[in-house]
Amino acid sequence: MRLSNLFRATLRIFRRSIQARYVAASVVLSTVALVAVGGFLSYSIGAGLFETRLQQVLKDSTRAVAEVQSTFSAVSSTDESTLQSLLNSVIPSLESSTTSESRDVALLRSPGQSSPQILQSPISLNLDANLIPEDLRTSVRSTAGKLVYQSISLPTPTSSHPGIVVGATVEIPVVGTYELYLVYDLSSAQQTLDFVQNTLFFGGMILILLIGGVALFVSARLVAPIRTTAEVARQISQGALDRRVPTKGEDIVAQLANSFNTMAEGLQSQITNLSRLSQMQQRFVQDVSHELRTPLTTIKLSVAILEQRRDDLPKASARQLSTLSGQIERFEKLLVDLLEISRYDAGAVNAEFEITDINGLVGLAIMNIQPLADSRGSRILVDIPSGPVDGEVDARRFERVLRNLLSNAIEHGEGKPIEIRVAASAQAIAITVTDHGVGMTKAQADHVFDRFWRADPSRKRTTGGTGLGLAISIEDANIHGGSLKAYSKPNEGATFRLTIPRRQGMELGASPLPLGPKRAKKEDS
Amino acid sequence: MSKKILVVEDEYALNESLRDFLNGEGYETHGVYDGAAALSAFATLEPDLVLLDVMIPNLNGIEVCAKIRETSGVPIIMLTALTDQEDVIRGLEAGADDYVKKPFEPAEFLARVKARLRPIPTLEGAAELSIGPLTIDVAGHEVRRDGQRISLTPLEFSLLQTLAEKPKQVFSREMLLEKVWGYQYKADTRLVNVHVQRLRSKIEDDPENPTIVVTERGVGYKAGQA
Repeated sequence: MRLSNLFRATLRIFRRSIQARYVAASVVLSTVALVAVGGFLSYSIGAGLFETRLQQVLKDSTRAVAEVQSTFSAVSSTDESTLQSLLNSVIPSLESSTTSESRDVALLRSPGQSSPQILQSPISLNLDANLIPEDLRTSVRSTAGKLVYQSISLPTPTSSHPGIVVGATVEIPVVGTYELYLVYDLSSAQQTLDFVQNTLFFGGMILILLIGGVALFVSARLVAPIRTTAEVARQISQGALDRRVPTKGEDIVAQLANSFNTMAEGLQSQITNLSRLSQMQQRFVQDVSHELRTPLTTIKLSVAILEQRRDDLPKASARQLSTLSGQIERFEKLLVDLLEISRYDAGAVNAEFEITDINGLVGLAIMNIQPLADSRGSRILVDIPSGPVDGEVDARRFERVLRNLLSNAIEHGEGKPIEIRVAASAQAIAITVTDHGVGMTKAQADHVFDRFWRADPSRKRTTGGTGLGLAISIEDANIHGGSLKAYSKPNEGATFRLTIPRRQGMELGASPLPLGPKRAKKEDS
Repeated sequence: MSKKILVVEDEYALNESLRDFLNGEGYETHGVYDGAAALSAFATLEPDLVLLDVMIPNLNGIEVCAKIRETSGVPIIMLTALTDQEDVIRGLEAGADDYVKKPFEPAEFLARVKARLRPIPTLEGAAELSIGPLTIDVAGHEVRRDGQRISLTPLEFSLLQTLAEKPKQVFSREMLLEKVWGYQYKADTRLVNVHVQRLRSKIEDDPENPTIVVTERGVGYKAGQA
């Protein structure tokens, strides 16, 4: 459990840090290379050491065997005790006569000889005769007059040393064939090899650490400018448009920094340009607003003055006055809607969010639209939750969306009842407005939020809509972080569904109300 | 005798239309086209109401409003084409009683004018009211504190009187808009906020900690308990 956590943590570090990956790769690869090189070195040094020692051992042994043989060949006496003492003296003389290291000596009588064994086989004190392998003895006997050697392991009280046994036959007059064995201890060569191997190992370790350090240093040098660039990019994305990457030299890193800075420069000027344009647009909208308001006020007052004297006017003029008055009203609505939509286009809309009872706003919208509904004979059926539904909305804009949807439903509802439903979940509030009028095809419904769009251009507007109501409504929905969708079928009417998050910044999940006829189907069954 | 209205509006056509319209409703009007002329006309005409455009040459509307308020409590209605909220607030703080946004409905505009010229309705029989340390002489339109007369505009007087007449009642901003300003439906409740502030600065010992006109959090205002 803990181990897997550690593993996951390590994996995360590797995933996040290019430097960690680089250093780890360098260390692993150089370890593999060093193990290979070290293994080869260690093997060839070991082999070389052994070979050298072996040659020396064989040389020594050849001399020793020759000495012993010549000693015994020169003996004329057959006296048992003389021979025995001569035999015994071979051991200490051979033990010490070597210049390099001590060797143990054994002079063993070859078995299976006819002459009775009268002499003891002398052997070095430290040597156990059993150490001399039987198969070596066999091959010594079978190759008389030649040196035969074999590697053995010499036991010590704690462990064992490597060793070589060299054997040869020695002919001793009267008593027969003896086998002379010289046992050399190779522990000094082994020590040398151990030392070399240790040196190689520790040297290798230090080298790996150094390589790791170098890799860390180099990668840090390489990563540093990338890191700086990433940091600057982050700052720029957070709005510090004037941040730049410091550049040095002419290498690839400097090229990266330069390209990055050029890009940031371009972005900054584009953004500044856009915000300047947006400000200009905003300013223009304000100016238009101001410039149009005063003459419009004057015109309206003039109409009002004429209204004051309506009774003095000829009939035709009085009728024209009504037309004038109605058209001015429409013109004013259009102006207000145009200004609102250009405020949205300029991104100059500041919504004022407040926690408000949605049912109350629905009531207000219905109250405001009731005269229009009455004039068209449309009943408005309301289906709202019994308790209050609180939502964080810009009350003026939210009520405007509802009023626009209702007005749209009345215009296309052909006097049939209009349903408005409210439902809320923990996250979202949905309101649907459904009419049962002429409806639209799918293709028409796709355009219903377009500015000045009409489903049927030959049908004239009758409710005094400006053609911008739904376009503004969708902007109003967007500024709440919500959505406004339309569903319609020809001759069955249309449903518009507004869904907004309950609180600003909440994730807008599934809408609490269905858009299509699902609900209707459910009611049928 | 018909009421006199001073129309301060630099747009000639609008000025003329405003005057024709008001003349048609039976008011006597006088038109001026800039701030400086407005002040001198105000001094000589002594109008019953001033209609004041915000954007006028030679002293803007807000400055003219402040100047008039130095000497007079005459009702002032600002005409504004600006949707800029701050200008509306600044105008109200300078002492304007009400404002109308261009383009306005002539009928609505006329209602505003009439409301400002209407004499303040008083409760039957209440000749003198008291609120905190203040005594209000309803008939004489006078407010005294320790015998000292405090000068209030008619609107401020009406606001104070409304609160004093029902000392136990909490008035919501909407109720005050209806009773004092004569609004029939939802209007800008900041009108109330700003005028309560102005009123407090005249009658309270410490306008920051009012004791006479008390805020009832989330509801509105009421008369402080003496």
